[in-house]
Amino acid sequence: MTEPLLGIYIHIPFCRKLCAYCDFVRYPFEEALCEAFLKALCVEIASFEGPTRAKTLFLGGGTPSILTERQLESLFSCLFKIFEFSSPEISMEVNPDDVTAASVQHWERIGVNRVSIGVQSFDDATLSKMERRHDAKGALHAIDLVAGHFNNWGIDLIYGASTKHAWQETLNITDSLSPPHVSSYALSYIPGTPMYNATRARMEDDTVLQLYQDAESMLARYEHYEISNFALAGFQCRHNLIYWKNECYAGFGPGAYSFVDRIRMANPPDLKDYVEYPGRKAEVTQIDLFDEEVETLIQHFRLREGISPGYYEKRFCESMDKNFGAPLRILMERGLLESHEGRIRPTAQGFYLNDEIGLLLVK
Amino acid sequence: MKTPQENIRNFCIIAHIDHGKSTLADRLIEYTHTVDERKIKEQTLDNMDIERERGITIKSVSVRMEYTAEDGHVYELNLIDTPGHVDFSYEVSRSMAACEGALLLVDAAQGVEAQTLANAYKAIEENLEIIPVINKVDLPAADIESVRRQIEDVVGLPADDALLVSAKTGLGTRETLEAVIKRVPPPSGNLDAPLRALVFDAVYNTYRGVIVHLRVVDGSIAAGQKILFMAAGIKYEVDEVGSLQPDMVPRPELCAGEVGYLICSIKTLSDTPIGDTVTGADKPAREPLPGYKEVKPVVFSGLYPAVATDYDELRDALEKLQLNDSSFQYHADSSDALGLGFRLGFLGLLHMEIVQERLEREFGLTLVTTMPNVAYVITKTDGEVMTIDKASQMPSPGEIDVIEEPYIEADIMCPTQYLSYVIDLCKRKRGVHVRVDYIDGNRCMAVYRMPLAEIVLDFYDKLKSGTRGYGSLEYRIIGNQPGDLVKLDILLNSDPVDALSTIVHRDSAVRLGRALAQKLRKLIPRQQYEVAIQASINKKIIVRETIKPLRKNVTAKCYGGDITRKRKLLERQKEGKKRMKQIGTVEVPQEAFMALLRVNEEDND
Repeated sequence: MTEPLLGIYIHIPFCRKLCAYCDFVRYPFEEALCEAFLKALCVEIASFEGPTRAKTLFLGGGTPSILTERQLESLFSCLFKIFEFSSPEISMEVNPDDVTAASVQHWERIGVNRVSIGVQSFDDATLSKMERRHDAKGALHAIDLVAGHFNNWGIDLIYGASTKHAWQETLNITDSLSPPHVSSYALSYIPGTPMYNATRARMEDDTVLQLYQDAESMLARYEHYEISNFALAGFQCRHNLIYWKNECYAGFGPGAYSFVDRIRMANPPDLKDYVEYPGRKAEVTQIDLFDEEVETLIQHFRLREGISPGYYEKRFCESMDKNFGAPLRILMERGLLESHEGRIRPTAQGFYLNDEIGLLLVK
Repeated sequence: MKTPQENIRNFCIIAHIDHGKSTLADRLIEYTHTVDERKIKEQTLDNMDIERERGITIKSVSVRMEYTAEDGHVYELNLIDTPGHVDFSYEVSRSMAACEGALLLVDAAQGVEAQTLANAYKAIEENLEIIPVINKVDLPAADIESVRRQIEDVVGLPADDALLVSAKTGLGTRETLEAVIKRVPPPSGNLDAPLRALVFDAVYNTYRGVIVHLRVVDGSIAAGQKILFMAAGIKYEVDEVGSLQPDMVPRPELCAGEVGYLICSIKTLSDTPIGDTVTGADKPAREPLPGYKEVKPVVFSGLYPAVATDYDELRDALEKLQLNDSSFQYHADSSDALGLGFRLGFLGLLHMEIVQERLEREFGLTLVTTMPNVAYVITKTDGEVMTIDKASQMPSPGEIDVIEEPYIEADIMCPTQYLSYVIDLCKRKRGVHVRVDYIDGNRCMAVYRMPLAEIVLDFYDKLKSGTRGYGSLEYRIIGNQPGDLVKLDILLNSDPVDALSTIVHRDSAVRLGRALAQKLRKLIPRQQYEVAIQASINKKIIVRETIKPLRKNVTAKCYGGDITRKRKLLERQKEGKKRMKQIGTVEVPQEAFMALLRVNEEDND
């Protein structure tokens, strides 16, 4: 059997300003700490054991665009020493504030071929409510620069933080700018975040659903290929598809996950722990075959295209109908899944009520 | 060595819950060295975990003690422990019938409670010599003089010579034992008369079968003897007799006046009715001992396995549990909504809770319990008389001539500042005022007649919460009375759910129907499709509530590593869903079947 192609994820856990709603692993930027982190990161990458052929690289965070040219170059040289990439997608998440003519040229030069801009909104009131560093003007400027250098780029949006009107306006501007890729997330109030603690009145589920449907209808030119993601033809994010197809990936940096040979591993989320013991795992979980099957189905049903029984059979050497026929039929009766050109895929309802699908598939 | 009859004392302790009965029993057992000290657990006589946790005695246990008194003689003291709750009042009366005396134990800080009084009256009826004992005299809040006055004024017993004890510290233990010897009369039975022994308890032992606890009144009983249970009409040969110390110690015979156990290969407890008389099969007594009654359940509820496949396990568990507790009855039953299950009859509410809890705890079952209800006697227009114990058996209104329900007389004791609350509560529960007695400046007892069905619902919880825990309740069943009763149905998506039907009084039917529908709307989670909840009386819809469909349930982000966390989260949610019952397309949580118990939770009372 051919060795599987990995997706490589690098977590850069620093931000200049910590957003009130975010619960990712991130720390206020400090020069010395960042240097120590990068050193540890290279140690972790160098000590990787497993398949070394990769098809995607994704720099996420935090704020990867916080890194200097020198830092990025040394990180890439570390990576290229260990991993062999064949026509890879190399994505980088950037903050609008960090996008300059010089930075864009540099990213392109070192091999980045996909840029994802953390726009969140084109409404200044919404941005300041979310305590973002940039304003709408800054976002438009960044988009201008990125679009001038990259074919493959996208923006991240968040809805539910302010009015329906502000959201529709953001969607209008998005449509007119035509980014090849749009990620659109509901603002989630996660216990422990300042936003969660400060907010008393949560938006009703029905209202959040309306905003979601606004995105569906106003981004109709796009393929709504995953619950929260839209793309123009040919611009789906290959790296994230690895997660949604439950394929193998290696993650580096604090809090990053890996999934190789049916073993799921998590790095310690604490930066100090990570710097002190690079490569030490906080969690190692052997996923049994049944759980991998369930997880694979649940993830595929996040995708508009769903899953084909042939793919399942090839991957698990068993029939999908034999293993999951009964719950799948119930889900089709409930109108959450449908059969389409030989595949089983989620319906529109199946997106809105996606967790109900998982609920029926798990043990 | 056989104890002469004049050196035997048979007595019990009567007390309200928490007044220290089991602790006092422990002290007496310790003082007389009846149990090896290494074996003493807190509250030796309370055998079950539930008993120890709740501080109540469900099954009574008796113990034989030997005590060398100050007069130099050795006495045989039989302490017959009585069940501590109103539900078991018949069993209490049989235990008392096996005694000549009783210690009336009253908490020095709490004073006389409804249960103290009810049991004291029972003891007076049984002609027992009653020795007042004031417990917890070492507490800072102890008010000995006031308790003395209460015993005199309320119970009507002289309390000048009440014993002052602290069962916790052991203060007054010796004085208590001396008082038993000096004041409780020895048994008066005739050793030469034909055998008559009172069965006051029976327990099931996995190895030995049924162990009968009895008090020999006349004659004697020994191994090998042929005996007859007079009420049950069954003959056996005695395998073994002995005394309970509290472990079983075999003895050659038990004679008139003595208390002990009997083993004679009885297989089930139901063959051994409490209160039955044991006599010789060859030379039977002419008359059985008085007071035997067949005990009938008064509260009923349905019990269903949460997962249908557990039905067989539930049946096995009920069989096993009934070996230990013959006082509940059950038969197989089925519900359209809940599938196959059982209908159980209990002696009262606490009894019901205990049985349900033991089934869940001792047999690891997850159960769905339906609303408790009482038995109704219906006279149909064609003259037929039927008894029903669940709402779905109720004939259509046109066929009913008269419907009768059981009534009780309730004694409710509380501090006077809560009297108006208690009166109001009784009125709302269709209570008819009988009288109010003032116990002292601070407390009073309200006597009301009311339908048992109202007590079965939420009366006790309301009494407790409305009186800050000070109210206490005792009741006795006084017979059936006609009532204007109707069947209240609940429909989910237009289909009536039999397990949610109840029989209620016409005057409160609309209010309860509304409240129940509203409560169900809160209890039933949103589902993929809209759920309509309707309440109807005699097929007429009186209220509709709607549960809006679940519109959105989706995890927005799912990247590396999130999936395993999410799967585990879903698995936990699914575990919770398993406790729900699927009725048609609606998933109904278990609490919904008890919703009527909680419909008034939001009331300002």
